[in-house]
Amino acid sequence: MAAPLVLVVLAAVTVRAALYRSSFAAFIAERVEVASPLNAWKRVVEGLALLDLGVSPYSGAIFHETPLIIYLFHFLIEYAELVFMITDVLTAVALYLAIQDYNKVVFKKQKLLIELDKYAPDVAELIRTPMEMHYIPLKVALVYLLNPYTVMSCVAKSTCAISNTVIAFFILATIRGSAFLSAVFLALATYQSLYPITLFAPALLYLLQRQFIPIKPKSKSFWLFTMQYAALYLCSLVVIICLSFFLLNSWDFIPSVYGFILSVPDLTPNIGLFWYFFAEMFEHFSLFFVCVFQINVFFYTIPLAVKLKEHPVFFMFVQLAIISIFKSYPTVGDVALYMAFLPVWSHLYRFLRNIFILSCMLIACSLLFPVLWHLWIFAGSANSNFYYAITLTFNIGQILLISDYFYAFLRREYYLTHGLHLTRQDGTEAMLVLK
Amino acid sequence: MPCVSNVLFAQCTRCSWGSGPARCPDACNLLGKGPVPCKACGEPRLIEDQAEQFFKSGHTNNWAVLVCTSRFWFNYRHVANTLSVYRSVKRLGIPDSHIVLMLADDMACNPRNPKPATVFSHKNMELNVYGDDVEVDYRSYEVTVENFLRVLTGRIPPSTPRSKRLLSDDRSNILIYMTGHGGNGFLKFQDSEEITNVELADAFEQMWQKRRYNELLFIIDTCQGASMYERFYSPNIIALASSQVGEDSLSHQPDLGIGVHLMDRYTFYMLEFLEEVHPASQTNMNDLFQVCPKSLCVSTPGHRTDLFQRDPQNVLITDFFGSVRKVEITTETISLDRNLAGFESELPKDVLATEPLKYADQLPVAQIIHQKPKPKDWHPPGGFILGLWALIIMVFFKTYGIKHMKHIF
Repeated sequence: MAAPLVLVVLAAVTVRAALYRSSFAAFIAERVEVASPLNAWKRVVEGLALLDLGVSPYSGAIFHETPLIIYLFHFLIEYAELVFMITDVLTAVALYLAIQDYNKVVFKKQKLLIELDKYAPDVAELIRTPMEMHYIPLKVALVYLLNPYTVMSCVAKSTCAISNTVIAFFILATIRGSAFLSAVFLALATYQSLYPITLFAPALLYLLQRQFIPIKPKSKSFWLFTMQYAALYLCSLVVIICLSFFLLNSWDFIPSVYGFILSVPDLTPNIGLFWYFFAEMFEHFSLFFVCVFQINVFFYTIPLAVKLKEHPVFFMFVQLAIISIFKSYPTVGDVALYMAFLPVWSHLYRFLRNIFILSCMLIACSLLFPVLWHLWIFAGSANSNFYYAITLTFNIGQILLISDYFYAFLRREYYLTHGLHLTRQDGTEAMLVLK
Repeated sequence: MPCVSNVLFAQCTRCSWGSGPARCPDACNLLGKGPVPCKACGEPRLIEDQAEQFFKSGHTNNWAVLVCTSRFWFNYRHVANTLSVYRSVKRLGIPDSHIVLMLADDMACNPRNPKPATVFSHKNMELNVYGDDVEVDYRSYEVTVENFLRVLTGRIPPSTPRSKRLLSDDRSNILIYMTGHGGNGFLKFQDSEEITNVELADAFEQMWQKRRYNELLFIIDTCQGASMYERFYSPNIIALASSQVGEDSLSHQPDLGIGVHLMDRYTFYMLEFLEEVHPASQTNMNDLFQVCPKSLCVSTPGHRTDLFQRDPQNVLITDFFGSVRKVEITTETISLDRNLAGFESELPKDVLATEPLKYADQLPVAQIIHQKPKPKDWHPPGGFILGLWALIIMVFFKTYGIKHMKHIF
């Protein structure tokens, strides 16, 4: 499998290099869908320039990157393009290895359940075979690397790519089973942008499952492991934050990075839901609504954990998607990350109900974003409502996509245990409905 | 016989009785009675005393600040109110140079005006208060609270033309007329901002302290207008309002040809009253207070005279509404003070300029060129780098076991 992966990587690198040299690079770099105030390359350059002039980069409201990014780019700023290409490749490789391991896990679990006779007799067509699962890791790497969203994100040199790399490594470490590395990478991911903290739950569930610890509140080993993992995570987070303090000898970065993420002061339009709402809200209510919107990101963790405790990797996927949709400054780079996982659930295709409409919706919206932006900002014949409508449609498409996959996944699980041909009590055919 | 002129009590120079301006019912020598003896000491008064008293009268010039604060076509009546008062005031003698007219909207040239270039104040279009001699000083969006207060207090940018300034002094009697939409304690300007009664009172106090008025007549025709003069605390102010707090001032009559109400009741009856006044009228303030009883106005007009030092009975309408020049005809000669000192001005000696500075001396070019500091390159502190790499190495070894150490070293 290495050879096709290398080919894919080469193709991706070529595409990116070609785009870097073309005139599209400047155009893509300033698109608001790709570069948000949190991860725009212009701001990184600005922050480093301020640092060279002797001023703290967090003193204005321009720079919202973490100190580790400052450190990384202080030495690598001339090779920025190379750095971003390498991060994309690293992400793809990490996802490839992670999904390879995950497939093994899935297959082992399936074998166990078949031997334990947990499956209904007529579900032969739903059972997954190693044959069909063979190319999934390559597809994942392919989808990630050649996804137009990722390519645009890389060409724009948005630090979202670095964030994605850290999350990919976290997923790799979790699936490999190493609690320590997983905690370290999760701490790094949380440090980089605040929202991956919600990935703590699926990672914990996965590691518990891997060590065969049952998830019961009364079980002592459950609490022991949870405490261990939480302690590892929190300690590494604290260590990283304290280390960042020593870079500039100030705690300025905390309000600039985390305060900025949480309080959403910058209302530049992006593909998210925050900007329009807060642009027209009275000052009086903005605190309340900021809290409501932020809670929306973290809110789904517990219900999903209850529902999906047997399937933590799917939970991780849904959680990643929720972060990308509801975070305060989403970009297409975040969307690309969870879309890379879609080949893993390709066996759910027969249960997806709206996939055609949703894919059309997403493609159409992605194409309309620059059009309506042009009409609004440059031609003046549209206004912000048009752009917001497309944002809304795009986000609705994403949410429906995730809920469609969620429904399909649960439906398949139900069929596996209850058989494919469901009948009601009187013998007629039954339909499965997600309540 | 009642005196028909405005001769004041002459201050008797011998016993200095009769200080202050007061109305004299019988010290009039226009009727040929001859010099009247001083009431206190009985000595006949000199013509010089009377002439001196002439120069000690209350005010020497009149100003008017007429403000309409509402815009939009349906507030036609406020513009008509202000223009009616403007017309009366001009007819009674105050020139345009002494009138600051602020109209927040243009009704005469409003596209909805069926009779363009006219503003009528009486139904059946009897009285056009607009004409080609109306000089509007502040128009349309220039009528703001800020501009109004700046006009009153005199804090105007130096580029403001004279027609937009209130150049009053401490011998000016000022008439301030305001109309528009108001409430309890405020008056609305342009549908977007308000002036409160406190601000207005403070502005008048500033005027008093800067000696910008001698006496002030404040008339306001809005809903709950009495609230606007509640807070005045400066002396020499008479205030009139068209309605009390809690009452609305009502408009007079709509004109079906134009389609809007033409005037407000209070100003309508005030205008009728003023039409009877001519420059030599003796009508006084008490008549103005009664100009609009409740039966005609529906609201209860109010007034406030506690800050005023003279008796309103003795205050003539033309003291405020007109610019009456007091003219006394006498056949006797009056000699002014002989002891006026000559004004000698000494010009300061010119300071001769030394030879002019050369350009190069004024601008130290050499210093400027070398002034740019070299940009310091920032390096991350050593402690940080050490800490970071130590952590990375620790994580590496923790994950992959210590046994790999020997492969490195």
